[in-house]
Amino acid sequence: MKRFFHSELDTLKSQLILMGEKASAALRKSARALSEKDLDLAEKVIAEDDAIDDLEIQIDREATRYLTLRSPVASDLRLITVAIKASHDLERVGDEARNIAKRTRKMILKKGAIGDTLYIPEMAIMAEEMLRDAFQCFIASDAERASAVLSKDEEVDALNKANFKDFIHKAKNDPESINLYLDLIFISKSLERIADHATNLAEEVIFLTTAVETRHQN
Amino acid sequence: MQLDPNTVSHNRNKGETLVWLSASGLGLALLMVLFLLGLILVEGVQVFWPRDLVLLELQPETDSLAGQRPFLAGSIVEKPGNPGTGSGEWKLMVGNKDLYGTAYRFVPEQAILGRRPAEDLVVAERVEYGKAIFFPLHLITPSGERIEAGDPHFWKDFKASIDDVRSRFLAIQDLERNRIGALNRKIHSLERTRRHLLRQQRDGIEVDPRHLEDIEISRDALEEQFQELAAEVTRLRREQEAGSIHYRLASGQEQTQPLGNLLDVYRPNRMNVFQKGAFFLERIRIFLTGTPREANTEGGIFPAIFGTFVMTVLMSAAVMPFGVLAAIYLREYARQGLFVKFVRIGVNNLAGVPSIVYGVFGLGFFVYFLGGTIDQLFFSRDLPNATFGGGGILWASLTLALMTVPVVIVATEEALASVPRGSREASLASGASRWQTIERIVLPAAAPGILTGLILAMARGAGEVAPLMLVGVVKLAPDLPLDATFPFIHLERKFMHLGFHIYDLGFQSPDSESARPMVFATTLLLILLVIVLNLGAILLRNHLRAKYKTSTF
Amino acid sequence: MMAASQQPDLPDGPPDPAGRDYIRLQDYSFFYGANQALDTLSFSIPKEQVTALIGPSGCGKSTLIRSINRMNDLVEDVRHEGDILISGESVFHPHIEVISLRKRIGMVFQESNPFPKSIYENVIYSLRVSGVRRKSELDEVVERSLRAAALWDEVKDRLYENAFTLSGGQMQRLCIARAIANEPEIILMDEPCSALDPIATGRIEDLIYELKKHYTIVIVTHNMQQAARVSDRTAFLYMGRLIEYGETESLFISPRIPQTEAYITGRFG
Repeated sequence: MKRFFHSELDTLKSQLILMGEKASAALRKSARALSEKDLDLAEKVIAEDDAIDDLEIQIDREATRYLTLRSPVASDLRLITVAIKASHDLERVGDEARNIAKRTRKMILKKGAIGDTLYIPEMAIMAEEMLRDAFQCFIASDAERASAVLSKDEEVDALNKANFKDFIHKAKNDPESINLYLDLIFISKSLERIADHATNLAEEVIFLTTAVETRHQN
Repeated sequence: MQLDPNTVSHNRNKGETLVWLSASGLGLALLMVLFLLGLILVEGVQVFWPRDLVLLELQPETDSLAGQRPFLAGSIVEKPGNPGTGSGEWKLMVGNKDLYGTAYRFVPEQAILGRRPAEDLVVAERVEYGKAIFFPLHLITPSGERIEAGDPHFWKDFKASIDDVRSRFLAIQDLERNRIGALNRKIHSLERTRRHLLRQQRDGIEVDPRHLEDIEISRDALEEQFQELAAEVTRLRREQEAGSIHYRLASGQEQTQPLGNLLDVYRPNRMNVFQKGAFFLERIRIFLTGTPREANTEGGIFPAIFGTFVMTVLMSAAVMPFGVLAAIYLREYARQGLFVKFVRIGVNNLAGVPSIVYGVFGLGFFVYFLGGTIDQLFFSRDLPNATFGGGGILWASLTLALMTVPVVIVATEEALASVPRGSREASLASGASRWQTIERIVLPAAAPGILTGLILAMARGAGEVAPLMLVGVVKLAPDLPLDATFPFIHLERKFMHLGFHIYDLGFQSPDSESARPMVFATTLLLILLVIVLNLGAILLRNHLRAKYKTSTF
Repeated sequence: MMAASQQPDLPDGPPDPAGRDYIRLQDYSFFYGANQALDTLSFSIPKEQVTALIGPSGCGKSTLIRSINRMNDLVEDVRHEGDILISGESVFHPHIEVISLRKRIGMVFQESNPFPKSIYENVIYSLRVSGVRRKSELDEVVERSLRAAALWDEVKDRLYENAFTLSGGQMQRLCIARAIANEPEIILMDEPCSALDPIATGRIEDLIYELKKHYTIVIVTHNMQQAARVSDRTAFLYMGRLIEYGETESLFISPRIPQTEAYITGRFG
């Protein structure tokens, strides 16, 4: 039996998917802006972050309304809590993407050249994959594939650590460009944060579909 | 909360005592009812069973029956001990009331010398004087032939003659009671009309002379028919005089009876159990369908059954609408206040008024006032002969209806009160008026409860005697309240009633010993009739309950 | 402290063309003998929406709903002040006959109370008492009403069976079918689900959601989740007074009156 208000959950779900699309698009665009030194694209990413923030508010309000009026339980209730948390994670992803775009804009405007970005493009690709996977699992309610996302997070962490070590090393050799390397370190850190949010999303999908808690297990 | 175990067990014991007490009260009541019913059942049923006859030889000096031989024949009614040794008395049904003066005799056991073979003893049911118990000597058939008792054809011929006699007897009864009665009534009615017209003529009112002529012509025709029937009756009666039976009693007296006096003969000691069974059923049939004879101690009691039935049905028909409408007004329409409370108390107290008071009221109001008024208005030509101005089944039914109306009102009120409020509200909220709600929802749902009230009212009404004696019951009513003469229903007629019949037989009969078995049989029948009426109402109630079931539980 | 009852949504005057004041209470008070059950209520119930009345027992919810179709007339020793208007016409107006008023207003009660008759006869009861006899018309009404009450598929093969063979939830839907058989404008529901299990309750709630497309529904409920689920507007009554009245969502998420907050959060009394 489907109750008259169950369709409201579908609306919420599709809004969440839309937000995920927007967040991963922001990530993709900011990475491209960095690698192609595209100032316009970086500006675009910065401007589009407001839409993601609005979606977060919308999803939160819709979830609260549903909690208040429909008294959901079990999977419906998990979906609502996941929606609130996921919208928060995605808003953070959007923010990190905007940060990357901002730093890219700063580097382009100051130096015109960025130099070697080391593993950053690779990290961007991996983080985007993680986001996409987490979302596909959300759409397909697939907990198994979501677990795969968790293992990727460690690779991204390792790349971030390697980046950090190399950029420090380069900065020591080239103290003039210390600001450039700091920006690159922060971009790497942002990508690592995005991967963390993707991991959170994956954990939330696992909780949503299996009701099993996977956070802070080690 | 802490429970003191002593208190608990003490309370439980106290409770158990009360349970036992109430249980034994119920047991006692049940025992008494069962004993009463058992007694009535046993005594009532064995009235119809052909009991074996005994022939007793007595010590010569004890015989006070003015017979020549110290013998006595009869069926044993009570037998406390053995012959010769006991100190009690045997009670015998000896019949032959015409010669012995009484049909029952007590014989001291000391005086009984012994039992003798009694194979040839014959019991005869007679038109008068009850049963005769005798040894047949010889038979003179209607054709004048003499057959000795020893003749092998004797019993067959005797039985055959008696069968003829009986069918003639029934034919005479039918002629006298039904056909001549109907003719008489017609002639009577024509005569009344004629006298009425003549009176009008004398008073100067124009009367069509042809009308008078017509009446006289048809009256003459009826008179002619009457004469024919009367002649037929005389012929049959003369035929009944032909033939006779000569017999000797056990005590030695010899007697000759015309065959026309006998209705049935049988030899109980020669009957096997099946013959006895068939005889038993036949007697019950006669009892249920026949009319009473011999001051009600013989024959059947059909008029009383019919009278009781019709009266109860009429009473129900009168009490139902009256009581139900009163209860509906009290419960559904009247403003619940002090006045309604007083009315309710009044109604409840009416149930406690002695029934004879209702009889007096019925006599005064229904018979004298209502009946008298009706006679004045519609039957003035018959005055001073009362039509409705005397007791009759209608007035008796109405009197009983009045007596039982509190029962119906109380039961109906309770049934109405138990109809769920939700049903009423749903009906009203659907746009039904108050009356529509009562008619379509409340009454059907209350019907089982209302019928319970009717059952109680019927049980009380059918068993009531005292008020009826004042308003229309008689010990012998030749005409039933329903018959084939126009207008078929004669509510003004007096009627017979089982309850009154019991009273009359038991306490008013000149021969109470002979009436005793009939008292039991009639009581049994009255109880059965009440049970049948109640069962009918209960079946109807269960049917309604199933139909208007208001709960799935 | 008692918060002042809210002002009516719309001021006095001619009926609102949008039907926002379809049922309008004007300073309506109600008394059982010397006890005042409703205290100068003034608010409007919009057309083709679900309005829920909530509040603790004895707050006057049922009295209010029963005032709309004048079921309170049946109680002895009662009186009222003020007025109730439906489409601008007073229900107490002398020329309004109470029977025709009740034909315009269907009612569903707390305990499902079908009549001890067949399912078919139950549905057409209001037509029967109005004297409708045409079989084809009755058949049509039965099918339409039972379909609208989402019961047709379950009972279409046993229309002539006793209504008491149905389950509790089916009986209540039958009562709803009976209430809408006459095509009323308003359906009053007095705690329609309080005797039902959650599944049956869910069905009734879904049905209410469907019915509000064509009918104006006023529902009394003890169950605040239910009020939140089914209603568009909610009125909170306490001790015969209207404490707060507004959009269900805002009343439940951010009530303006502390008493409402206390009641709906369970911190009451």
